[in-house]
Amino acid sequence: MSVGAPPLSASTLSVELRERLVPIFGADIAIEQLALLAGGASKEAWALDLRTPQGTRQLLVRRAGGGVIHQGTLTLEDEHRLLEVAAAAGVRVPMPCGYLGEIVGRPAFVSERVSGETIGRRIVQRPELADARAVLPAQMAEELAKIHAIPAERVPFLGGVGAHDVLGRLTNEVDHLEDAHPAIELGLAWARGRAPERNETVVLHGDLRVGNLAVTATGLGHVLDWEFGHRGDPAEDVAWPLVRAWRFGVDQLRLGGIGDVEPYLERYNALTGRHITLASLDYWEIVGNLKWAIGALTQSRRHLSGQQRSVELAVLGRLAAEMEFELLHLLERAA
Amino acid sequence: MQDRPDAAELAQAVLPGIDDPRLRFRTLVAANGLGILEREIALGAPLVRREVGSLARLLGHADPLPDDPGELRRRAVDLNRELAQRIRAGDTPEGALAHLVATVADKLRIASPRYLERYR
Repeated sequence: MSVGAPPLSASTLSVELRERLVPIFGADIAIEQLALLAGGASKEAWALDLRTPQGTRQLLVRRAGGGVIHQGTLTLEDEHRLLEVAAAAGVRVPMPCGYLGEIVGRPAFVSERVSGETIGRRIVQRPELADARAVLPAQMAEELAKIHAIPAERVPFLGGVGAHDVLGRLTNEVDHLEDAHPAIELGLAWARGRAPERNETVVLHGDLRVGNLAVTATGLGHVLDWEFGHRGDPAEDVAWPLVRAWRFGVDQLRLGGIGDVEPYLERYNALTGRHITLASLDYWEIVGNLKWAIGALTQSRRHLSGQQRSVELAVLGRLAAEMEFELLHLLERAA
Repeated sequence: MQDRPDAAELAQAVLPGIDDPRLRFRTLVAANGLGILEREIALGAPLVRREVGSLARLLGHADPLPDDPGELRRRAVDLNRELAQRIRAGDTPEGALAHLVATVADKLRIASPRYLERYR
């Protein structure tokens, strides 16, 4: 979405990048193309075509940007490790190729570059993706089931454990905003009073929703953007794609603007043997709106503080009112 | 009826062949930001007055509203902080939810009026 300091040119990056790629792909390589892609709120994504003796590889270099969306964001090194573990668990992820260390002062890793539509608005609207939308809900449930089965000891760096921890982090972030946000306070008070007891804790993707999936004509290709991976209540992950902001205008389809919740939840429960209820999803949908409202305000502060000047970040501060309004709407319904 | 260029033609004229998708996206966001500013200039003052009046009733303050726009804005900041602190302390005033729904709707009238229409 934005880069902070003046964007780094591909030629500046490519010298160091090539050196770091040699241990992974061998010395007989050449960078054929390197271009900064659109999207990504806090990370750069570079499309890299790398000539190797086996042919040209289509790769993606993910490199740290100017800041993080919230305090729980994984380092690039941990995100790469989580990708490796998820790939080994059979989750459809872009295959990670290696952690690169710092390139021109910022950490980066390289993975396979996958095709498919990633823009949420197009996924929910484009006629040629209608068949994909029909199968996406079940496929999202299947990927979540696999992610939630990842052994936590394989990713010991993941933090967080339950609703009270999530709400504690959110409260801390609100306190860092300086000005008061009574609508968000009302939502936090509601959520604290109804926080589920800590029961089962699993590995969560943390941001699995339409917009973070590569979608092809036949459905879900890959699960992207693992930087918010953490441990927690599985219902937190299952409810996240319900949040209205991730319906991209198709409001009546509560699951990400592509489908109804019930078949998706049934599929997830059938695969995992869990008994997550609609009431639990209602709870975590409200928490999800809190998360994104606070996330948007926090991001705008990066602009206001001068940490990362960006018109997108600035406007996000005003668009947080959308999430506040949805939050209040859900609180009215829950009352 | 507006003269030509019509809306679509004007949009194309404003984004003349911006091929770079990042620059194009950023330009659209910038245009949206200017739209917010335009609506704030046109609608903002009475909405702040309405918010401060509603906050004062909710929190039981009887003192008259200041006329000076800067002072009114400072009052809004103070009263919002007071309301937030009461909610945090478990002392949410009766009617807080209705007040907040109306106030956030007013914020959206400036920040994102088309989003607000989706709730009708």
